[in-house]
Amino acid sequence: MNCEVCQLKELEVEHFEIREVLRCILHTIVFHRALGLVRPKDVDLELFEITYVQCGDVELEKKIDEKIDQFISWVEKHPNKKSQICLSFYEVKSKQPSWFTNKTERLYWEQWYANLNVTQQPKQHSSKSHLTKVVVDPGESANEERSSRRAMVEASLREVLFQIIKFVNEKKDHVPPISEGVIYFPYEITMPRKFQ
Amino acid sequence: MEMDRESGKLEQIVSQFRSKILHVILNSRIPSLHHHYQQQEPLSLARVRKSDKWFNLVLGDRAAALENLNFSLRNLLDPMIIDIILVHHSSCSSSLDNLYTPSAAVGSPSDETVIERWVVQYDCARVNATPSGADTSSSYKKTYKKSIILLRSLFAQMRLLPAYRIFRQLSSLSQTYNVDLVYKVSSFSHPFSREEEGAMKEYSFVPVEAFPGRLCVSVTYRTTLSDFNLEPLVSLPSNIITDYVGSPTTDPMRSFPSEKGFHATSFSIRGARPPSPSPFQRPHSWSSGFHKGLPLMQNQSLAGSPPAYRTSPKPYDVVSPQSDIYGNRIRNRLPTLQQATAYDEYQLSPPFSASASPSPPAYLSGANPVVAHHCSETAPVTIPFPLTGRNSFHLSLNSSDPSRHSLPPLSPRSSKHDASSQESPSGIRSYRKLEALRAGESPSGLSINYSAQKMVRDTKDDSGRFSGLLSSSGSPRIGFSRSSSRLSFQDDMDDCEFSCPFDVDDIDVSDSPASQNVEGKKALDFTAQSVPVGKKSQDAAVGMLVHMLRTAPPLRQDPSCYSTHSSKTVGYEGGVGTASGFFMPCKTADALEELKSYREMRDLLLSKSGTRVVRKEEM
Repeated sequence: MNCEVCQLKELEVEHFEIREVLRCILHTIVFHRALGLVRPKDVDLELFEITYVQCGDVELEKKIDEKIDQFISWVEKHPNKKSQICLSFYEVKSKQPSWFTNKTERLYWEQWYANLNVTQQPKQHSSKSHLTKVVVDPGESANEERSSRRAMVEASLREVLFQIIKFVNEKKDHVPPISEGVIYFPYEITMPRKFQ
Repeated sequence: MEMDRESGKLEQIVSQFRSKILHVILNSRIPSLHHHYQQQEPLSLARVRKSDKWFNLVLGDRAAALENLNFSLRNLLDPMIIDIILVHHSSCSSSLDNLYTPSAAVGSPSDETVIERWVVQYDCARVNATPSGADTSSSYKKTYKKSIILLRSLFAQMRLLPAYRIFRQLSSLSQTYNVDLVYKVSSFSHPFSREEEGAMKEYSFVPVEAFPGRLCVSVTYRTTLSDFNLEPLVSLPSNIITDYVGSPTTDPMRSFPSEKGFHATSFSIRGARPPSPSPFQRPHSWSSGFHKGLPLMQNQSLAGSPPAYRTSPKPYDVVSPQSDIYGNRIRNRLPTLQQATAYDEYQLSPPFSASASPSPPAYLSGANPVVAHHCSETAPVTIPFPLTGRNSFHLSLNSSDPSRHSLPPLSPRSSKHDASSQESPSGIRSYRKLEALRAGESPSGLSINYSAQKMVRDTKDDSGRFSGLLSSSGSPRIGFSRSSSRLSFQDDMDDCEFSCPFDVDDIDVSDSPASQNVEGKKALDFTAQSVPVGKKSQDAAVGMLVHMLRTAPPLRQDPSCYSTHSSKTVGYEGGVGTASGFFMPCKTADALEELKSYREMRDLLLSKSGTRVVRKEEM
């Protein structure tokens, strides 16, 4: 079985935006792969005007939050670095049992890579004497800059979500059959790569 | 045989897919449906209805209108076109204006723009292809799985399109706007103009193979809706006015404008919407009609259980439909729907066009001018302060001369009822019931609006009767037509505790709390009320009293009761009581004595009213 890989568009986010962005991306992916009986739950992002959908499973929500916490702590240790978080779906296949091993094997059939470039908030520039412009309140320009940056991040995040929907729609044949009683396929969240 | 079973399942999947998509789209675009969905108590997944388990996406109860639409569009080969229309009302009319000038609201200009068009089609181009065994075996399972995925992505995408933001704003209960979202479902549609196409973008979901055809879903949507300025409307809170006429705490002397039709005393906010469409603006029968949003009723599924890899489908429970505050809209809409959703009409009717339609769409926003327009019931009244509970002739006086005492004109039903029965009309009973209910109600109309359980609707009432009964829960001022429907309205009132608060056919003052007051204050109030009338009528009243007393049977013949200076004569009632002690005089002297006592009584009354008493010389 082919393993379909989707590299999502890179997002430039600030530290405080990581949690919301990753929650949005990961839950959206899982919602499209939670093909069991779900009651969809709309969740509004606080930082952006985006609503994404969760499949309403509490355990899943906990696991995703745990992984996001791990990611954030890694980012804190490695600031200003590009990073990835990978969401993989697999099937459990039992290996041919031998005398020494009786392991099960994971056959990954889909992998999603969310690429984040976590930046520090730029420092405010102090007004210089050679500037002939009227001195503007630095707070105001910073606010404008922040809001425009926020709008850019929102637009990029929206693009990423559309990318997920497009990928999900285009590739359906590799998705395994739905098992009865199972809400979502087995998955794992990893941080496979660390950019320098 | 196997193929037939497979094709039957496939057909079921296609049919349910269309229903589910319709449900998803309307739940995510029509505020009223979304509200009701939110109000539903979420069942655990184990207790979800089978009909809701289709495609493993639990959405809650489906609106009855959706069922009707599904039924009418059951030809799977016809496309199902869902238009989401943004109705932009002219900014000059506020909800308040609409209420007081319903004609203006009805005719107020509004722009309608299709902001989204969803097309769901079962493309059966390969209908003649002969499927092989490998193609059909378990093909329906794959189709089902892919349909689930498609629905997931559609559900997610609906939150990302521009229209979702407007939907969320309109769904907000804290604010009302000058725009509204309505929908139209049909199997055909007018193509967009070039200008419209320029502002729109199309997205097509990858079709799902459903042998012998495939399921195709696409959306054409406006890329930006910033042109539509959402202006908040000034609207009055939907509080129940606790001091409306009739409440025991109301100042009985407070007057209301009772002339010139109706005046609403409370309004429903748009947040408690949607208001009902105007029955005068019903779409033509050939049109699919605009549908603002219909309340959800109990689910009536038309198909078996989803193929969760099980074998036998099970019958669904058919539950009696519920009703809610939108009852009047149900009544108004259902005839339209039943006309518009008839399958033949979709087949034969000319295409419905917002621009070409000679009649404005059957929807409203803001307050409910339609309701106001239908509000032909009695206006708020000033209940005259009764003399006494026993003076029934005052009642007849009042009822015979409404203009004089600001009583509402007697409704045709009440007069009819009075002719046939000596009992107090049931309208009064319901009126009093309503008073009692209102005494315990929450001041916020919202708590009533969303208590769907209070409104029990009978599907038989879909005859088009415009009942104020149910709608009164959403807006205390709901109109009803003075026609034969009043009789049926009365039947409903017997079943339901709610009724129009101003549906007062007659006022039984004898039982009113004020009439029970036998203190002197009552006499003062009465005399104070009588003062403006004039000394002449006062004398007439006294004369009438005298007449009554003369004709009344004597209670006792104790002369000690003649005294009018005792404390018992302070109140009017005391005077009456004292007077009841009189007996028929058998001599002239006795008569004179009696007259003297009456004069004294009169003087006492006049003195209490503050007028100078001109004593006549005693005879």
